[in-house]
Amino acid sequence: MLDAGRHPNIKILAYSEVQGLEGKAGDFTVQYLKKARYIKEEVCTACGACAEKCPIKADNDFEMGLKKRKAIYIYFPQGIPAVYTIDPEHCPMILKGKCGLCAKLCQAGAIDYEQKDEKKTLHVGAVIVATGVTQFDPSVVTEYGYGRIKNVITGLEYERLISASGPTKGHLYRPSDEKLAKRVAYIQCVGSRSLKYKDYCSSVCCMYAIKDAMLAREHDEEAESYIFYSDFRVMGKRYQQYRLRGAEDYGIKYIRGRVAEIIEDAEGNPVLWYEDTRTRQVKSLTVDMVVLCSAAVPSKGVEQLAEVLGIELTPNRFVKTDPFHPTDTTVPGIFVCGFCQNPKDIAESVSQASGAASRAAGLLGITSSGKRTVA
Amino acid sequence: MKVFEKIVQQTKAYYCIDCGICTGSCPVARVNPRFSPRLNVEKSLLQLEGEIVEDRELWSCLTCGTCSQRCPALVDYQSFVLSSRIEARKAGREGSLTHDGVLKLMMELQTFAFPQARTGWIPKEVKTSAKGEYLYWVGCLPHFDVIFKDYGTHSLQTAINALRILNRLGIKPVVSPEERCCGHDLLWNGDIESFRKLARYNIGMLKKYGVSKVVCSCPEGYRTLKVDYPNLVGDTGVEVIHISQLIAQGIKEGKIFLNPLEEKVTYHDPCRLGRLSGIYEEPREVIRHIPGLQLLEMERNRGDAICCGTTGWVNCSSYSKEIQTDRLKEAISTGAQTLITACPKCKIHFQCALMNSDLSIEIKDMLDLVGEVI
Repeated sequence: MLDAGRHPNIKILAYSEVQGLEGKAGDFTVQYLKKARYIKEEVCTACGACAEKCPIKADNDFEMGLKKRKAIYIYFPQGIPAVYTIDPEHCPMILKGKCGLCAKLCQAGAIDYEQKDEKKTLHVGAVIVATGVTQFDPSVVTEYGYGRIKNVITGLEYERLISASGPTKGHLYRPSDEKLAKRVAYIQCVGSRSLKYKDYCSSVCCMYAIKDAMLAREHDEEAESYIFYSDFRVMGKRYQQYRLRGAEDYGIKYIRGRVAEIIEDAEGNPVLWYEDTRTRQVKSLTVDMVVLCSAAVPSKGVEQLAEVLGIELTPNRFVKTDPFHPTDTTVPGIFVCGFCQNPKDIAESVSQASGAASRAAGLLGITSSGKRTVA
Repeated sequence: MKVFEKIVQQTKAYYCIDCGICTGSCPVARVNPRFSPRLNVEKSLLQLEGEIVEDRELWSCLTCGTCSQRCPALVDYQSFVLSSRIEARKAGREGSLTHDGVLKLMMELQTFAFPQARTGWIPKEVKTSAKGEYLYWVGCLPHFDVIFKDYGTHSLQTAINALRILNRLGIKPVVSPEERCCGHDLLWNGDIESFRKLARYNIGMLKKYGVSKVVCSCPEGYRTLKVDYPNLVGDTGVEVIHISQLIAQGIKEGKIFLNPLEEKVTYHDPCRLGRLSGIYEEPREVIRHIPGLQLLEMERNRGDAICCGTTGWVNCSSYSKEIQTDRLKEAISTGAQTLITACPKCKIHFQCALMNSDLSIEIKDMLDLVGEVI
């Protein structure tokens, strides 16, 4: 990401929304809305003095709501461009003209409460859709108690808890009582591979659960992990060895069987009921915390974008492609890569991104030296 | 052989991904290690139908629908069990009958046409009609009142309360002396012939009375008339309504006023009303509407509610008692003084479990609760 941010041939139009597209392959005009940050991007040095003193708190989306952020914020520390943004829904200065503290504090003079959204256009030869992935809301799977049992969290929430830059600085303090979670169960296929919810395999959960469990042990020697699975789908290069290493070196216990139900005991511990299909026994397991590896789904807003671009989606909201042209959308000149095309992991996304870029370059007649071979 | 191939097709058993959600969810499998919906489905796929038919645990399934509701492959396990039981019956098998088989006898007797005094219990102060738009489906309540007298369930009072409530809603329903057993239990025990006989008889009776709406207070009758009659026998020509829907609507329209009652209650979803019919909210709306009443939910509620432990008057065992005791403990743990249910059988089963334990909670039918406050 940082490389892309520094690249001389890449211009990032962050905090902007595509609103219209005209033209045809090789000659598109994109209308987009550059949303007001209320910050002069070229002036802000991202020193953070503003956010430190800002009196208003709001939910931090990046931290999955596990932490608060200020009304003037940077989405996440490594984000690019490294500039602050004022959240107009929470800033009292924008809402009712009161406060103005950040403008007084900003030594660079970057604050601009009068900034307006700007409608802009851009001429491009090709468009590549790479809108990515989010997680299915597992609260509809009522038997798992997400939203009701505090110590049942999603994979993305766990990512923040285990992250050194996250709300708990990498310690697995569980949500109910901030006790260190020693025994953690990971449940695969929550909403995925299910005719009730999402009928596809999310393809990344087996591997990230193993990784998550390994991290737990690396952070805490006493960590115990249980991964409940229906079949391990670890098909990448040496992924199976990774799985075996999880059991051998990190003590992860793999239990075959989808968890049937989670209830909460008097101490707030989740109690999992399941059939261990290898021994055919119905058992229960009490743990400190449960991580639901819920279905990965295309990001929000993909329908609106598809409508603007005129591209088709599949019933599961993935960008529709032909099996033999996995980077071509239904509109010539518009290409696609990453999870928004179909479930895939980072490695595959990166290679598909190269493919999409090559398809775009081919269309525009650009060679590897950056020169155009056709006008 | 061919029959089970058809069952596999119809119930989509071939979609099974062997994940174990069904068996893990099953209240019976949790207490009875010999019972596994997953293994039964696997057996059908491996053409081991002989084992399914001969297994006495085939009759232990509560057909409560928890497994089917959670199944990621949407295998219809209830229909699977129903069809398997039909086959098992053909092979001369049946479940072990409870209460000395008196309930089965009672149901079978009703497949013969003979005159019965079926409406003598209706008190004078309650208004009914000989003809009209609505018919109140009484179901087994008067029979239960006699058979389960020792349990103190007073089932007949529930029927009287249903009529009183309907009167308050401005409905003077037809109560038919010619109503027969709906056939629910016979059907779920695989006796489809007797079920069809009763269904045909009842459909004819409804046509004769010319009613357009049938109000059921029993969830089993509701499900049977609404779903199983049209699917397995033919169009009933009537709209089937559960009384909780009418009361909830009556409350919204200001037709019925409920007096205050200081009580903490919890609500148990009967499987025929909840999972099998999707009626979760109406009974709760009714209960919540009583001023002063506090509704405390059990952790496993609505679609996740567990069954009352036995069904169709067969295979009631120590396992059933374990399921019931577990549910009663869950109800007590909410802090409620009263467990409200909307099914006369749930009430009988819980009452029975209560009599055999040292647990203490009052069990009440939703209609008896409403009956107290109108």
